[in-house]
Amino acid sequence: MTATSHILVIDDEPQILRALRTILTEKHFRVTTASRGEEGLALAAATPPDLIILDLGLPDMDGIQVCARLREWTQVPILVLSVRDNEHDKVAALDAGADDYLTKPFGIEELLARVRVALRHSAQATGTKVTVIKAGDLVVDLARHVVTRTGAEVKLTATEFKLLAYLAANAGRVLTHQSILTHVWGEAEADHVEYLRVYMRQLRKKLEADPESPQFLLTEPGVGYRFLADE
Amino acid sequence: MLPSRLPFPFAFILRYLLAVLTIAGTTGLLYLLRNVLGTPLIALFYLLPVGLSTALWGLGSGLTASVCAFLAFNYFFIFPYYTLLVHETQDILVLVVFFVVAVVISQLVGRAQSSLAEAQAREREATHLYELSTALAGLRHKDPIARIMAERLREVFGAHTLEVVIQPALHEISTRYSAPVGVPLPKSTPDHVIPLTTARGLLGEIHLWRTDRPLSPAEERLLRTFASQGALALERALLAQAETRAQVLEESDRLKSALLSSVSHELRTPLATIKAAATSLRSGEVAWDTSARGDLIAAIDDETDHLNRLVGNLLDMSRIEAGALKPQRQWNILAEIVGGVLARMRRVTEQHHLDVEVPEDLPLVPVDYVQMEQVFTNLISNSLKYTPVGTTIRIRVRAQAEVLLVQVSNQGPPVPEEHLDRIFDKFYRVTAADRVTGTGLGLSICKGIIEAHGGRIWAENLPDGFAFIFALPLTWEGAPPRLPAEPENE
Repeated sequence: MTATSHILVIDDEPQILRALRTILTEKHFRVTTASRGEEGLALAAATPPDLIILDLGLPDMDGIQVCARLREWTQVPILVLSVRDNEHDKVAALDAGADDYLTKPFGIEELLARVRVALRHSAQATGTKVTVIKAGDLVVDLARHVVTRTGAEVKLTATEFKLLAYLAANAGRVLTHQSILTHVWGEAEADHVEYLRVYMRQLRKKLEADPESPQFLLTEPGVGYRFLADE
Repeated sequence: MLPSRLPFPFAFILRYLLAVLTIAGTTGLLYLLRNVLGTPLIALFYLLPVGLSTALWGLGSGLTASVCAFLAFNYFFIFPYYTLLVHETQDILVLVVFFVVAVVISQLVGRAQSSLAEAQAREREATHLYELSTALAGLRHKDPIARIMAERLREVFGAHTLEVVIQPALHEISTRYSAPVGVPLPKSTPDHVIPLTTARGLLGEIHLWRTDRPLSPAEERLLRTFASQGALALERALLAQAETRAQVLEESDRLKSALLSSVSHELRTPLATIKAAATSLRSGEVAWDTSARGDLIAAIDDETDHLNRLVGNLLDMSRIEAGALKPQRQWNILAEIVGGVLARMRRVTEQHHLDVEVPEDLPLVPVDYVQMEQVFTNLISNSLKYTPVGTTIRIRVRAQAEVLLVQVSNQGPPVPEEHLDRIFDKFYRVTAADRVTGTGLGLSICKGIIEAHGGRIWAENLPDGFAFIFALPLTWEGAPPRLPAEPENE
């Protein structure tokens, strides 16, 4: 992440644009704004940004459609903004290629954290991969297939490790149920959220201090899961 | 009665022929008995076939029989025989009297006959009308009205095909019902078009195709009466619909104004706090120390969350009202949902004790994660509102057969038994509204969500407090979850 990463914000609410422009500029980002989908697509093509913040409720076109159009030619990270009770749209946007989402209204710390994660992932995609992920007293070594907690190795089954590895490799990003199921169990089991629930419970029991209020293996209600690593 | 199926001229001629034949037969019989019977008696006997002909075949045949009988009587039985001449004055008198009596009898019988037929026709008409109005009574929609009318019309008028067309209301297409069902209507224009009109104007039309015989005046009259009955039924249906619409509008209007008054008050409270805190921070007159600044900022943050919850509740309520609350079910672990809610409510529950026991081995439950969070949030918020600081809020969960039972209890005051059901109604409060904050929607949203999941929610007074209890089905479309095989060991 360079100090002058360029962020394109596409939202039709002038107040949100104003607030985001002020805050992000203050945090040393270069900010461009668009209030319509078509305008956003044109801007993204004219001066390719390092990150796009996209509101799903645009007046001229569906935000999900904007995601799909962007993904036709660019892998720039997309962070979508949505409202509560619209889990279906969030999942659809993630499936259409968005990297993460935030539910309005959101705190600015949360937004900045998501922006950092997204920028780091896009940097990693072009550079060297991180193979050791740390989260509190937990260390996941993807290359050596070893998980330790406060220095002691934790025994995981093959499926448990596969699940944890997928989440950890995408640390900070939300992963939809379907993408996790497809990755760990295969296309045929993509609808069996119950598998995921059972294995997540097992993982939390082995890795979390309090499985009922997890610190690393977080649930994204109605959407999926997120692994929260140290920054 | 004569077979009326014969084509028109034959049936007509046959009636007269039969009258003539009857008189001929009678004449033959009387001729054989002429030595036994006197002239007056023979005249009397002749009246019999005359009356009979009228009764059976109508007035025309009766009059024909009268003339024939007069001639035969004169020819065969009045001296001089076998001529139509009459010598005796007395015989002339007999003949004249006979003829007059015969004609009078046939006319009387004929009139009685036709008024009987008319009475029967009227009775049929009345029966048809009665049946129609009984069938139409109580119908509140134009489709069944059109159907019943088409069926009855076809039965009564024996039309080949007919159609009942009802004028469309605004933004609708016209209702058409034809009989018999499935037979295409003729391309030709209908033989009869009868409008269905009332004081409101034209409501529809009856189209009738019947080419083989024209409508008799009686049939035409009956058809018009049918049409006016149908029109009345339609008008009744229209009025009933308008009344229902008016009631629904009134109800939703009442709800909206209740919602508005409740909401505007609820929205202003956090807004007032936010406004006060924000303007304080902006004002250059006071130099706030760090902790005061922090408090003001925290107030803005908290009240924003409060506003967000309010708006969420309002949206949920309007979805429940519109029947648009469709749970996005997935197999979920209830402990995870409860854990998430408690983590988010940690700050507001700080001053109460929370005692949560969700067993490890609970089966998965098919629910909408976000909606269930809403249920727990609302039940806990409600418990916080009505119980003093320092008391305990308890959450207990257990599976029982194919049902998951969840109990959220608090140490609040008991609610009068007669209010226990009503606390889930919109805007219902046990306590006076100005003493407790809230829109009065939380519990009714819980009820809406639980019921959308095929479950049930109720409230109970406990010996030491008050409890909300809800039951959720543990099966989804009749099946339990498909769990992975036992976890493999490395």
